[in-house]
Amino acid sequence: MRFVWFWTFWHWSTEGFRSGALLRSPLQGVASHWDEWYKHEASESERHEIDAVGRSVFQQRRFVCWLARQWAREARWRDELLPGRYVLAQLSHVAPFDKWTVFEKYRATYAARGIAAIVLNEKSAGEAADVRPVEAVALPLDEDAAAGTVVADGFHTDTGELNTARRAAMSLLDGKGLILFLALWGLAGIRPYSRVVRAVLIAGWLTVIGLIARLLFGPDPGAQLLIFVAVLFALWSSLVVTALVVAGTLSFNAWRHGKALRRRIEQRQLHLRMSDGLLVQGGSAGLAFCLNTLLATYRSHPYVSNRAWLWERFFRRLRVASPTWAATGIVDADGSVEHVVLSPKIRACLRNANVTDVLTPWQAEARQSAIERVAATTRPVQPASLNGGMVLGFASVQKKLRSHRCRHAAQAIMAVGDFSSRSQLTVNVLALAVSVVMALALGDLRNVLVPPPAPRVVLPGSPSPYYLWVSLDTKRPDAFKAELESGFWANRRADIFAYGGADGSVRAEIRLTRHGHQSTIDERDGTVWIERRRTFLTREFEAGERIASYPFAHITGLPHD
Amino acid sequence: MKKAVDIENLLQWRRERAEAEAPPAPSGAYLLKLVQPWWEMWPDRFAASVRRLASIQLSYGYAMAHPRHGHSGHPVAALISRGDEEQEAPARVLYMSVRDARLRLRFQLAPVPRRDQVFEVTFVSETGLRPILSAHAALSGDGEYRVDVELPSDLAAAWESLKVTDPMPFRFILRPATDKE
Repeated sequence: MRFVWFWTFWHWSTEGFRSGALLRSPLQGVASHWDEWYKHEASESERHEIDAVGRSVFQQRRFVCWLARQWAREARWRDELLPGRYVLAQLSHVAPFDKWTVFEKYRATYAARGIAAIVLNEKSAGEAADVRPVEAVALPLDEDAAAGTVVADGFHTDTGELNTARRAAMSLLDGKGLILFLALWGLAGIRPYSRVVRAVLIAGWLTVIGLIARLLFGPDPGAQLLIFVAVLFALWSSLVVTALVVAGTLSFNAWRHGKALRRRIEQRQLHLRMSDGLLVQGGSAGLAFCLNTLLATYRSHPYVSNRAWLWERFFRRLRVASPTWAATGIVDADGSVEHVVLSPKIRACLRNANVTDVLTPWQAEARQSAIERVAATTRPVQPASLNGGMVLGFASVQKKLRSHRCRHAAQAIMAVGDFSSRSQLTVNVLALAVSVVMALALGDLRNVLVPPPAPRVVLPGSPSPYYLWVSLDTKRPDAFKAELESGFWANRRADIFAYGGADGSVRAEIRLTRHGHQSTIDERDGTVWIERRRTFLTREFEAGERIASYPFAHITGLPHD
Repeated sequence: MKKAVDIENLLQWRRERAEAEAPPAPSGAYLLKLVQPWWEMWPDRFAASVRRLASIQLSYGYAMAHPRHGHSGHPVAALISRGDEEQEAPARVLYMSVRDARLRLRFQLAPVPRRDQVFEVTFVSETGLRPILSAHAALSGDGEYRVDVELPSDLAAAWESLKVTDPMPFRFILRPATDKE
């Protein structure tokens, strides 16, 4: 076993905590505990071993790798993996690690970079250095009940501001913020379809539109109406079901896993780190803190979010966006983003060559056109090094800074996750319009696809000799028509309606007028046919099959009462 | 021309000269005064400090929205005494171990504008407000002070079972160790 002395220390720390000798948990108090153990508890041989490791950079590097990869996995605390980089960052400030060269990079960073906050120096008009990297780490909650749920490392600010950002993050995972995010995504958010599936779905919707147009404006399909309607209904319903099932499943997963992530936030102590020891006045870093809270929670347990496509995509892109995105805006506990002083912050982003995108409140100064005007008069500084010498190169003379304006932090999620899709919005609008049309035509489709049984003629008969009442025992009057064929009376076709009142019934009322060219003098001559009616919205097709016939004399003989 | 010098005489001469130039040896009374604790040297000042220390009412108040988790220890009333200036600064005991009649203790002061490297810590009993122990506390990383001192047997026996989460039976008077009186 390598580095036994570190295990000895860890055992001393955990046992000291359990026995009540140490107040802080072994994780939160790791630096203090190490300082005590190394200086006053470690044996001479252990100190010799530690010093031997410290003498060689190679050995130092082996220790760091072992601690981050092996020890952090094996030395679980509260049944959770330990954040190795946080431990390294804490240890880097105490002896002997404060002299070890490999700990150099951990002294000012947790190596857990997040979205940068734009915090202006006093009297700054917007300089590159005002864009300040923020790091966030979520640790298992300290046993020390007096410890805050959010800890500011390297800067000072009102704890209330940090807690508000934390609550906004919780709302985004399971609350009003999540509802708004899902609504925005449902309206215009990209779906996890492959290109082929997307093309098929778009083609499907276009086919539905084509079929509707064909039925409304094309030639009468005659006997093929049933096929047209069946294809239209099947296609539309399958598209709607697909859309609803996909959106519903993804939303449900996002809600379920968001709930789990929210619980993780509640059970964790969040460490936000911003260098320079600033005393931050105002809450304009709230949006950045809120997003970094989400990022830290994801980092603490990435497997939870990987099972929900929406969160997986957002967190993956948030992680990638972290070095090049900045955010400003005051957030309230529900996630609403409020206005801030913006012009110098835009200028700071323009001067900072690392920043390519900025999240802002919904303000006029953050319009893309306004930013481009400012960019034309702002000179960027040399790009700062990112990740060991790698820098972004800008071939253009004028720096391109994309702004993403938000009224709510949910819009920030949409922007970072790159969820907004114009094509999806177009498809959704089309689909909604088509679905409204289809909903209006559902009755007509039903009459064609599932025709009601043939009705019988029932009472009441007409009270007037000038009218013929054809009363039917059906609940779907719009599915039928009545037609009078007679040699004495003028032939007429009448729609069937449901009449209310004292004479209420479902009937067709046919006005009786004599035929211009009568073929008989028998006024009781004639047949009343009941036909199926075939319509689609405003279009009336040729009558369908005749399903019943009654002698005219029979119907006129029916009593009114 | 060389002059022969007796080495014994030379050494004798040098010793006599050194004795003549040396300051007088401190008196026994002066030495006793040096080892005298400060509260005996300046009893009025100690009494004033104790009065102020006694007036500090200190305990955690939990106004949090959710139920408490874990423990928080108990704050220890502390008074930083710098000449005429006195400042109240609650201390949190982070580590406490009494082994082999030695007290090892780490504590952290509430944020104070000035961070002294070493304090002379006077432990004042919580009940009788009497001085019971004096030790040096050195700054040891991240604003924590460390005390390592031998305990009288009665204190060692009484404090051996103390946990860091228990109410502490003492208060602190802290005097910067560079303070010359």
